[in-house]
Amino acid sequence: MPKVKDVEPIELHGDIWKHITPGEVILEARGITKRYPGGVLANDHIDFKIRAGEVHAILGENGAGKTTLMSILFGLIQPDAGEIYVRGLQVRFRSPEDAIRMGIGMVHQHRKLVPAHTVLENILLGHPKSKGVINIKDAEEEVVAIAERYGFRVDPRARVWQLTEGEKQVVEIVKALYRGAKILILDEPTSALTPVETERLLESIETMTQDALGVVPFITHKLPMVLAISDEVTILRRGRVVDRLKTAEATEQILAQKMVGRPVIFDLKKPDVTPGKPVIQVEDLSARNNKGLIALKNVSFTVREGEILGIAGVAGNGQHELAETLMGLRPAESGRILFNGQDVTHLPILDRWKLGMGYTPAERTDVGSIGDFTLVENVAMNYYFDNRYNHAGFLDYRGLRQLTERIIEEFDVATPSPDVKIQTLSGGNLQKIILGRVLSREPKLIIANLPAQGLDVGATEFVQRKLLEARSNQAAVILISEDLDEILSLSDWIAPMYEGEIVDILPAAEAKKDIIGAMIAGLHQEH
Amino acid sequence: MIAFLIRSLEAAMIFTFAGLGELVDQRSGILNVGLEGIMLFGATLGFIAAKTTGNYLIGFLVGIGIGALLGLLHGFFSITLGVDQVVSGMGIWIFGFGMTTYIGNPHTGPLGLERLPTWFGISPFFFLALFMVVAVWFVLTKTGWGLNIRSVGEQPSVAEVSGLKVARIRYLCVIFGGMMAGFAGAVYGLYYNPVWNYNFLMGWGFISLALVFFSMWNPYLLFGGAVLFGLLWQLSLNPQMFFPGLASRYIWRMVPFAMTILVLIFISTNWFRSRWGAATPEALGKPYHKE
Repeated sequence: MPKVKDVEPIELHGDIWKHITPGEVILEARGITKRYPGGVLANDHIDFKIRAGEVHAILGENGAGKTTLMSILFGLIQPDAGEIYVRGLQVRFRSPEDAIRMGIGMVHQHRKLVPAHTVLENILLGHPKSKGVINIKDAEEEVVAIAERYGFRVDPRARVWQLTEGEKQVVEIVKALYRGAKILILDEPTSALTPVETERLLESIETMTQDALGVVPFITHKLPMVLAISDEVTILRRGRVVDRLKTAEATEQILAQKMVGRPVIFDLKKPDVTPGKPVIQVEDLSARNNKGLIALKNVSFTVREGEILGIAGVAGNGQHELAETLMGLRPAESGRILFNGQDVTHLPILDRWKLGMGYTPAERTDVGSIGDFTLVENVAMNYYFDNRYNHAGFLDYRGLRQLTERIIEEFDVATPSPDVKIQTLSGGNLQKIILGRVLSREPKLIIANLPAQGLDVGATEFVQRKLLEARSNQAAVILISEDLDEILSLSDWIAPMYEGEIVDILPAAEAKKDIIGAMIAGLHQEH
Repeated sequence: MIAFLIRSLEAAMIFTFAGLGELVDQRSGILNVGLEGIMLFGATLGFIAAKTTGNYLIGFLVGIGIGALLGLLHGFFSITLGVDQVVSGMGIWIFGFGMTTYIGNPHTGPLGLERLPTWFGISPFFFLALFMVVAVWFVLTKTGWGLNIRSVGEQPSVAEVSGLKVARIRYLCVIFGGMMAGFAGAVYGLYYNPVWNYNFLMGWGFISLALVFFSMWNPYLLFGGAVLFGLLWQLSLNPQMFFPGLASRYIWRMVPFAMTILVLIFISTNWFRSRWGAATPEALGKPYHKE
């Protein structure tokens, strides 16, 4: 490895960012290589160029090396080899501070904000102006001015924990811009946004490119977004750049194929299933969130055998509370839940499992699995109470191991053995095993909370296919998703949620994306 | 009666010094339950230094210095090594208890120096305590340093990606906390109770620690709590003065701790949280490792 001389980062408002002409290369990466201690080659000689005034999307599945590359560009980890140039000047980022000072701004998918602080405090954190006594009034004015320049609205005095996901993202973008970022890295920028918010973000990005900023979205799914937003795409697979093309020359099919390495079916075939008798009836159900406020308000619906009810909505509108209340993880404030005609509203969780309810939680690593336990032990968590595997209090580990092997086989889980710790699995494989242990119980009702959230194209397709299979086997499915395309392609009925209420329940055949998009944004309540 | 009040305020100012240091420390996410040990060290070494040199200033400086060193030690354990902060703090307390008993034993007895001057009976340290309360409040809420400290104590990973050096900020806070505790101990041993005996601090470090939780991490509430705890302590020395025959002094000494528990219950209720958010620094007591 050639010895790279440390370049002292220059204060941002120094000479380096003067006189940018649109189209000039402002960031260049050459031969970025990173190997992790386990031997995984996460980045293998990655090259790309970011130009001023252009949107350059970096596309790749989970495990393609996107996160590593992003962390290197932001100074969170150091590459083993390779060079980074900012406006032709070779730089080395030893910490995020170095990257920030060279004009790199990062908008994280898992928001990096302090919930207890105000919006302004979050934006000021780490800013050179926030040394010594802070002039709050001036700072507020400057922040609002920057936000308005790009079409955002922010309330500097609001506390971050009170904001929606979309608003938090705006805070992160404004924070980066206020810090003087010229190259904005966006990690999965639209994954938590409503269609209306997505539209607004695209307009803001348009303004940014007019100001000759370089915008670099990193995207795993949401291919339409790539086509709508970018000028150029670099596609990563297994740590390598597999292709680079002008967006104008690309289609969704081409991108997906290059990402996954095989053709991907986008139109899932939804077989005709005749719905049977009602499995779950929910009447006027209400529940509180963790802050003690009513977050689920008088929700009623019925799901029958062989039906998928799609709960659409932006995070934090009561879907999570709904799932937890149905499963008994959260007490119902009022209303009742009938499961096959039996009132289960106050039944313990274990009894609900035994009756044939199944749940795949959105928090796969916190609620869905115990990282330090093996695959077999994690599968056992849905079976320890089952007479087939529990003989008078003794667990049948041999049987459980065989069961786990069957799940690994059937659900195509990539793992060296069923005896490894589950935390070694990637997100997609973890979700497959969680889904597999629930579906293998052949439940009559499946509550799938964000089943494909954060999964790559291949795993998403797999999970969706499995849910449709369960539907064909006469299971009732409650699908909670923030992805309207997913809701539209899988559901029989669609229930958009806004602020804890179900706005309406529409048959999927008649549902239109823009109407549902408006409903989950609270713009379509009056009818 | 006046003497009773003045004596209470003197206790309050010592609680305030130690509590303010611990408050800053905890706001940055580091819990130091070894306050009692650091104060014992500050009191004992400050006492010995002043007694042997005959100079109060040297006594106080030694107190502050040993506090800084012990703060640094706690920082090394909890920040660099990432060990359980309660274990490290308890270690410092036990170490302080044993070492000061050993070192101080030959010096048992009164300090033998002229008393420090007072202003109408009120110690100048009391005004210093008042000033420090306002200063800590100002720094924490109105300045960039305060924002950095609070952020590091809430979400260190956020501070990191915002370009802050988490470990450095935490070290500075834990050293500040140690200096304040060492100073509080020195004030105790050189002014409030200048007669050395083993364990002559009688749990004041733990009262100061409880005070931080009682204050909900607010310097003004901390000062109010310090005055209240000072009055209760004074009362416990002489309960029959106000409530003849009612409970022993040991029951009265327990009251500050009981009240702290009530406050802790109060701030963890849904009612409180839904109105005021969480009062506790989110990352308190959690070691932080870079991603």
